[in-house]
Amino acid sequence: MLLLRQFLMEWRLYSRDRVALFWTFAFPMLMLLGFGTIFRSGSAPAFTVVVSADTRASQAGRDLLGALERTPLKLLELSPQAADARWKKGETATQLAPASGGFALKVNTYLAAQGQMAAQIVQQANLAVQIRSAGAEPRWLPVQLESPGSAHASNYAAFLLPGLLGLNLLSMGLFSVGMVNVSYREKGKFRRLGVTPLPKWIFLMGQILHRLTVTFLQAALMLLLGRFAFGIANQGSYLLLAAVMALGTGCFMAMGFALAGFAQTSEGYAALSNVFFFPMTFLSGVYFTLDSAPRWMQQAVIVLPLAPFLKALRAVFNDGAGLAGHGAGMAIVAAWTAGCFMVALKRFKWA
Amino acid sequence: MTGPALRVRGIRKTYPKVVAVAGLDLEVQRGEVFGLLGPNGAGKTTTLEMIEGLTVPDAGTVELLGMDWKRNGRAIRARIGVQLQGTSLFNKITPREALTLYGSYYPRRRPAAELLELVQLTDKADAYHVTLSGGQMQRLALALALVNDPELVFLDEPTTGLDPQARRGLWDVVRKMKGEGRTVILTTHYMDEAEVLCDRLAIIDHGRLLTEGTPMGLIQSLAIPSVVELTFDGAPPDPSGFQARLGQEVASRGDFWEIPTQDPKALLPRLLEAAEAAAVPFVQIHVRRATLEDVFLHLTGRSLRD
Repeated sequence: MLLLRQFLMEWRLYSRDRVALFWTFAFPMLMLLGFGTIFRSGSAPAFTVVVSADTRASQAGRDLLGALERTPLKLLELSPQAADARWKKGETATQLAPASGGFALKVNTYLAAQGQMAAQIVQQANLAVQIRSAGAEPRWLPVQLESPGSAHASNYAAFLLPGLLGLNLLSMGLFSVGMVNVSYREKGKFRRLGVTPLPKWIFLMGQILHRLTVTFLQAALMLLLGRFAFGIANQGSYLLLAAVMALGTGCFMAMGFALAGFAQTSEGYAALSNVFFFPMTFLSGVYFTLDSAPRWMQQAVIVLPLAPFLKALRAVFNDGAGLAGHGAGMAIVAAWTAGCFMVALKRFKWA
Repeated sequence: MTGPALRVRGIRKTYPKVVAVAGLDLEVQRGEVFGLLGPNGAGKTTTLEMIEGLTVPDAGTVELLGMDWKRNGRAIRARIGVQLQGTSLFNKITPREALTLYGSYYPRRRPAAELLELVQLTDKADAYHVTLSGGQMQRLALALALVNDPELVFLDEPTTGLDPQARRGLWDVVRKMKGEGRTVILTTHYMDEAEVLCDRLAIIDHGRLLTEGTPMGLIQSLAIPSVVELTFDGAPPDPSGFQARLGQEVASRGDFWEIPTQDPKALLPRLLEAAEAAAVPFVQIHVRRATLEDVFLHLTGRSLRD
């Protein structure tokens, strides 16, 4: 009863802060819109190759350019001087120019990832030209775009959406909940509660329940946006999705409360929360998978709660799978939740 | 219902750079209005916070209504009401909501409307907390302290920042609490307030108890029932010469001289004669009864407002 009242009051006061309310719901949706649009599937990423104009001087060069025009590469033909100037400014990722006995590619080390991708495609076009000049036709291997778990083709936005949901929970826990608690304590807004018989755990639970409903609303909005803007659908059961989200919310809220117990001032808290936020987000597969990270790092990261949480979330959302095989991961998240809540309760001070 | 409302034995609190409370004993009887008096920084608030369970003392014991914080924390909280110095609430809560919410934490509660009426906030009942004036916030804090119909009420500097009329209003509320049989413990640095409101008071400075008693008793203990003040236009002259001529202590304070006396009737003719002879350029003469201010001055050599 007391808990319900506390929860309702949290919502009532929260709903009066219009600016916070707006950004809480708008920000994750803007993130999804932004990233989703940049990496929209179908419009294959266009890599640009700078072509020095003297390539066209020879027949071999004209053949190569003809083959390149049939690839998804964007060609930018510049005079040798202009190409050179652009390269020196560091804007070019890949450059094609005549060299002794044929042609050569230059790849910018800053932009190695996209530069090498483009270089590979140029190599293939070059091979195709050679095969054709021998009177044969190159035979390509068939490629099919398919998501690992479901029949639906997946795209980057579908990979991103659960990541954003998780990131959102983490930042709400560490930044909103933790920061608000430290700054309210700093301003003496909890002291008055400290002289009442209100138990600390009810106060903390009231906030967690409030945030839980906020995150569910956020998630619902993001799922709707994902569905109508990018055609991403939840592949799994909504019940499982809600269960995973609820556990995640509890975990990251409790983490925010626990950290709040270790900082005296808002400034101190800002520094402390970043120590947890950045490693977790970069190492836990929000933006990219960890498959290429060293093995020890993958194993170290698995004991942090964000990675197993995201794995479970993606298993349900992207692959339509159950949580079988995620038991250990969920146990890690649950352990963090319980541990953080105990620490939070222990460290919580009204003043 | 026996035993004192509050019994404090040897409480101490030391912060990294300062000893806030250096061993304090207090005892307050049920139904009393008890004042903790002292200048800013004397340790009044720290003392009160240790009694209210907000701060844990480094040493000593606190017993409230026969209970102690370690074993009966919740039971104590249910029966005390606290007005903190500068009570800060959530920005967008209204007085009515705050009273209802805080009331819901207690087994016994008083209706919000009744409390709003008591502190004359009915017309601001539904305004956000941030929009209230300092005096209105102060009155809301007082209402919050009464939300659980407490036996023991703590008021920390309850009239600081109030205009004179609101101060009188608060005095009435305190008298009403006493009439209802509540024990009230308040801190203040206004001497007139302490004198008017308190049955008994303790004067503390530098975290130590200087003296304790009824306001009348403390004033009488000075054995100087009256003070004659000579006011000057501007800075008063050096009183040492005049002191020798009068054969009585004359102290210079601000823009007046102060002459403590047991018998103002005998002093006045002598004083006027001496002033005439010495051509002391005073503009006004004023005889007053000694106050707690004089008690404090006598005990510390400092004025309370310094």
